[in-house]
Amino acid sequence: MRWGMVIDLKRCIGCYGCQLSCKAEHGTPPGVFYARVLKREEGQYPTVRPVFLPVLCNHCEEAPCVDACPTGASFKWNDGIVDIDHDKCVGCRACMMACPYSNRYFNDGPQNYYEAGPTAYEQARTTRHQNNVVMKCNFCRDRVRMGKQPACVANCPTVARYFGDLEDPTSEVSRLIKERGGFPLHPEAGTKPSVFYLPA
Amino acid sequence: MNPSRAKYDQLIVDLRSELRPQRQWGEGRGIFLVIGHFVVGVAAGTWLFSWLFGSQAGLAIAFMLACLGGGAHLAFLGRPGRFWRMMAHVRTSWISRGFFGLAFFIAGAFLYLVPLFLPGVLWSTDSILAGIGCVLAFVGMLILMVYMGFVYTSSKGIPFWNSPLHPALYIAYALRGGVAALLLSVALGAHSSAPVAQLLLLWIGITALVIVFIALEVYGALTSGNPAAQRSVHELLAGRIAIYFYGGTLALGVLLPAWLVWTRFSGPLSLGTMAALGLASVFGDFFMKYSTIRAGVHLPVWTRLAPQR
Repeated sequence: MRWGMVIDLKRCIGCYGCQLSCKAEHGTPPGVFYARVLKREEGQYPTVRPVFLPVLCNHCEEAPCVDACPTGASFKWNDGIVDIDHDKCVGCRACMMACPYSNRYFNDGPQNYYEAGPTAYEQARTTRHQNNVVMKCNFCRDRVRMGKQPACVANCPTVARYFGDLEDPTSEVSRLIKERGGFPLHPEAGTKPSVFYLPA
Repeated sequence: MNPSRAKYDQLIVDLRSELRPQRQWGEGRGIFLVIGHFVVGVAAGTWLFSWLFGSQAGLAIAFMLACLGGGAHLAFLGRPGRFWRMMAHVRTSWISRGFFGLAFFIAGAFLYLVPLFLPGVLWSTDSILAGIGCVLAFVGMLILMVYMGFVYTSSKGIPFWNSPLHPALYIAYALRGGVAALLLSVALGAHSSAPVAQLLLLWIGITALVIVFIALEVYGALTSGNPAAQRSVHELLAGRIAIYFYGGTLALGVLLPAWLVWTRFSGPLSLGTMAALGLASVFGDFFMKYSTIRAGVHLPVWTRLAPQR
């Protein structure tokens, strides 16, 4: 079993639904983004088009963050999900420097979005997280264990995200990667990511 | 605006840029990591040369610097109370190995130095404890010299650091810092069996090595084709870090000491000049480490921006 995700760049419309649903699911503080959408324009006038690249932790098979972590706080579950035990993290940020995808965040910023103080929602959700530790996406492991899909997958309005077992050749993710030429980011880093993209 | 809000705004700006500068190591509390790495490196070099040239004061300085470096490392951590957990992952993590190196060094140096400075009080210099201390301190010193370079080399997210030259460069820094600290201690009246001329020759040789390594690293980054590494070099030579590189590293760390060394060979070297040489060299090394760390830029996420290095 190795959980993985496939993101269809042709279907992504850059609505930021994944980013927002992730924020809502995890109640992450400002400055911590488990899921993000990068946007840029490609081409030359008049044939310019926007291109969107949703990014998240790649849950690498050869995770450099796990190797760099001195405490074992960054670790890998048997199902391939790379996770952080926040009770063990010392906040040395070596994992952030080791990650070639820049998808780890140090939680030392403001804990609420408005300067007037935390909203009731933030008090209920954001305060669950420890500060001065590193945070990142864990493929919504709690949801996955309950048989649900990660929040970003379940809430994508254009069905641009697929989640499944990369080791099962009959799974939808394996089929899409094979049939549509799915590619990971920075394969040259040798990290063997579990997030694949289908060309736009 | 409060600092944490300003930090958040800066993060949003950084996340929108294609070549995102790393700010965690070197900015804010991150300066303590640079200080820690710098001080611990100087401690290792000072121990080596003080041991070789029989300088008791130098050994004591190395021990104190290592303790100071350990404190600086703790001040950098987000959760310093959990520092002991850093010994858990020695199999793969260079930080974990460095933690052991520092622990070995401090414990070993303590065991070795007690009979030197308090003779006949607790244990003697030819006791097993002092012998164990000597071996532990030596092992710790070797680890301290090499581990920092490997911490940076293993940072796959920062192409400028992800260079095989970094460990060699950090070993050279440690040696240069050691010679400079010994010069400083001799200038302040400490005994050393090494003649000043020999120390100066050592300093010249190691400085030449450091300059060659830096030049190779900069050249390698510029010609690698990786835009993040190239941006780092640009930041170092002509960007936001250039002031530290030219002012701190080149002027203070190379040109001023070189001029002071020149005065030694063209006439007698006063103790004050020797102290100035040691200080300038040591601070130059600090600025070199500071500027290379601050110049780090994250690997861009868009792949077409990042051809294979």
